[in-house]
Amino acid sequence: MSLESEVGALRKVPLFRGIDDTKLRLLAFISDRMEYKTGERLCTQGEEGDSAFIILKGSADVLVNTPDGEKAVAKVEANSIVGEIAILCDVPRTATLVAANDMDVLTVSKDDFLKLLKEFPDMALEVMRTLALRLEQTTRDLAAARSGAAA
Amino acid sequence: MEKSLFRFIWKFSARQQIFILLITVISYPITYILLELPKLIVNDAVQGDGFPRVILGLEFDQISYLFLLCSAFLALVVTSNGLKLYINVFKGRLGERMLRRLRFDLFQRVLRFRLPHFRKVSSGEIIPMITAEVEDVGGFIGEAIALPAYQGGMLIVQLGFIFMQDPLLGLAAVSSYPIQGYVIPKLQRKVVLLARKRVKNVRLISDKIGESISGVPEIHANDTSAWHSADFSDRLYENFKIRYEIFNRKYFIKFLNNFMNQLTPFFFYLIGGYLVIEGNMSIGALLAVIAAYKDLAGPWKELLAYYQIVADVDVKYQTVVENFDPPDIYPVERLTSDEHIELSGDLTLQNVSFSGGAAGQEVMDITMTVPAGQSCAVVGQDGSGRSEVLQLAAGLVSPSSGRVEIGDQDLDRLTAATLGREIAYVGGAIHIWTGTIRDNLYYGLRHRPITTPERTGDALREYGRRLLEAKETQNPTYDIEALWDDLSATGAASEEALDAEALKLLGAVGLDADVYRLGLQSRFDPGMNEAFAERILAVRRELTQRIAQDPKLKDLVELWDIKTFNPSASLAENLFFAVPTDPEITPDMMPEIPEVKEFLASTGLDKKFLSIGIKIAETMVELFANVSGDSGLLGNYSFITQDELPDFERMIRVVRSEQQKPGLSENDKVRLLSLAFKLVPARHRLGIMTDELQSEIIASRTQFRDQVVDKDDKFLAIDPNLYLPPLTIEDNLLFGRPRVDRRDARQRIDQVLRSVVEETGLREPITYAGFNYHVGISGSRLSAQQRRRLALVRGLLKNAKVTILDDIATGLSDEDRTLRQSIRTVLDGRTLLFGTPNEEVAAEFDHAVILDQGRIASKGTQDA
Repeated sequence: MSLESEVGALRKVPLFRGIDDTKLRLLAFISDRMEYKTGERLCTQGEEGDSAFIILKGSADVLVNTPDGEKAVAKVEANSIVGEIAILCDVPRTATLVAANDMDVLTVSKDDFLKLLKEFPDMALEVMRTLALRLEQTTRDLAAARSGAAA
Repeated sequence: MEKSLFRFIWKFSARQQIFILLITVISYPITYILLELPKLIVNDAVQGDGFPRVILGLEFDQISYLFLLCSAFLALVVTSNGLKLYINVFKGRLGERMLRRLRFDLFQRVLRFRLPHFRKVSSGEIIPMITAEVEDVGGFIGEAIALPAYQGGMLIVQLGFIFMQDPLLGLAAVSSYPIQGYVIPKLQRKVVLLARKRVKNVRLISDKIGESISGVPEIHANDTSAWHSADFSDRLYENFKIRYEIFNRKYFIKFLNNFMNQLTPFFFYLIGGYLVIEGNMSIGALLAVIAAYKDLAGPWKELLAYYQIVADVDVKYQTVVENFDPPDIYPVERLTSDEHIELSGDLTLQNVSFSGGAAGQEVMDITMTVPAGQSCAVVGQDGSGRSEVLQLAAGLVSPSSGRVEIGDQDLDRLTAATLGREIAYVGGAIHIWTGTIRDNLYYGLRHRPITTPERTGDALREYGRRLLEAKETQNPTYDIEALWDDLSATGAASEEALDAEALKLLGAVGLDADVYRLGLQSRFDPGMNEAFAERILAVRRELTQRIAQDPKLKDLVELWDIKTFNPSASLAENLFFAVPTDPEITPDMMPEIPEVKEFLASTGLDKKFLSIGIKIAETMVELFANVSGDSGLLGNYSFITQDELPDFERMIRVVRSEQQKPGLSENDKVRLLSLAFKLVPARHRLGIMTDELQSEIIASRTQFRDQVVDKDDKFLAIDPNLYLPPLTIEDNLLFGRPRVDRRDARQRIDQVLRSVVEETGLREPITYAGFNYHVGISGSRLSAQQRRRLALVRGLLKNAKVTILDDIATGLSDEDRTLRQSIRTVLDGRTLLFGTPNEEVAAEFDHAVILDQGRIASKGTQDA
């Protein structure tokens, strides 16, 4: 349980891939490290999002509300960041996260993450690039889906 | 009040003044002989002849005669200086007593001002009047009569001597007096006027300062500091100008005096010389006259200086007292009288008119009756005269015409002892006193001391002295240390019953939950109530057990255990396993406690902790070196602030340089150690804690206990069976720390804690502990709503026949409605006047009076 191991995990998160170690250490330091036991909620759909989660260990189920109750739609594994959308733009949580097993999670508060981006523009650039890539991917998927539907 | 200072002095200290004068006169011959004796010793004893001499039938040869004279000289030195010491102390004491009398009288007059008068005077002006401005008066009073009488007497004696030698020379000696007597008062009058102006200007300055302090948020919010600075600086310049002019005139007067005094010898030499040459006067007589004239200059100078001081002090006195004599001041009996009449019957206003001096503050021809024991809403917008009517009904202001009566008693004729006890008034502008919640709750019961504290020995003597001084200076003899809370008024049989009654009322106005929370956060001294401490410990055990049994809860808390390391607590707590007895000691101060220092040195932990501190500092510097100061990241997460960062950088450089000198200073070491002390391993995951270090820390705990905790009372051990007074009640209830690495652990544990407290009936005693919460300056540590409700409870607790509430819970929200309901329940069967701007609220009361522009617009009674 030290910054070094957390930095090791952060480095594996695609969003932080291009960012140098000292900044990752800073990010790790200003985040809170939390433990979650199986079944505990990280966040609930619809509530105000004030932090992003970086999963160091374990995995979480992504649940969305359906007329038939909550339904698992995906799973997030270690070394991924979730909830970052909520801290970049003010939208309520789009899904519920429940620990699928015992987890170690780094929690970055919205304020701190934004401060960090402001402080290190290259980090902001990296975040932007990752998001743009993701958008591009989504657009392509959408196009594929549409053409598939048309066919 | 005495208009002139001398009248004041004479009225209250004539006897003492004459006594001072007598002593001064007696001391004169002693001083005279003291000056003559050395001459006698030299001329008669040393150089004289005709020994042995016979004095009082005893024979003295030369040596013993010398010895006799020298002994007499020594005796006179002792007597003369002793007398001086005595008279100076006497004068000082008299001055202080008179000052105390004056100040108290002024303060009492402030209390006697009618309320509307306070629209014209500000505290910023009154405070310096009672404190600084009269200060000089005290120093002067001891000299007031004795100095002019004594010096004047001396002057007349010397003058008489000169006149006896030669009337012409006598005339020459006094020739300058008429001119000085005419010119100097004229000049001095101008100085007096300036002094008055200066005093008033200084008052204005202090008023401006007071206003700037109370309005400081406005100054910042409107960026008007420049305007205030300019205004203030202008006042200071005004002060400078006045002062400068005073200096000029004062020193000119001095110059004139000195000049005149030295002009007179000119006439002496001229006229005296002429007379001697002409043979009309002997040279010896001229020399004697000139010598006498020299003696004349002393008293004359003193008298002139005295005259200037009188002019100055008198103007100060007058400028102060003229502000304390408004024509409509209440008679002193209203304040001091103990006469207490029980008021019963209907409250009636008959053709009452009143004007507060501005538009919207007047009421005209109000006639209304509130039957005894019933409630009446007084409805009206601000400026309708609502507040004025309620203040009239409370006897706080007097009608300019008409009568306000309860039963057949005219309120205007009643004393404060009746009005303040029989009527409870809680107005729109409430005041919370600096002190505890309890002080504020029972404030309405503190009319007169109830019991006299038992005193013996020194305390009794000291009290006797206090009483004597109070009587000397016409101060009240009330004992501030006595018990003042008048239980009988509330109907409570004991202090416990009163507390219970207060708690009930707090519940009625919905303030009990707040006070309970304050109680949880407050510290409590188990010496005061051991049973309560024991109950807290019982709840602690219960809570600990519940946590231990529930795996979910157990996962949220790190319970204290002497054998395990607590990663959610700081290293200091982990190492000492004790808390400092003085709650004011912060981790920053700990490394400097001698016992801690010694312990660290003896265990060798100081080096280890120092290296932890260095590591922390290194990490901090490395992490935050490139972060700009205004990002705010450092302040939130680091142990150190942006300002301290360069300092720690320097320390690290010193450490890395590996040079022995200069090395880290003691202060540096303290700061690094305190960094280590503040480390909470679960939060600051710096990778510093190794298993080995943990076990070493655990092993040192018992050593610290043996070496420091058991021997000294500076630390208290963390022990499941020990109440820790330096911690809050809440921290005492939970024997552990909520885990910092579990989400919402604190909140979830708080919930459990609360429910255990409820179950064990500890809520009530904890609320009582909240009574001792200090509310800060004028209640600044409470919210506005809490302050209003506290004032309301204070009013309700008085249990008065008539309760008058203005602008309290007047809204239409459910909360306000419930509050009104409970107020009415509490006051059931007693007269209640309820001021509200809201017409809809009126329906809840037996009667309603609607005011508009100072007149009654309509009256109504609810059908039963």
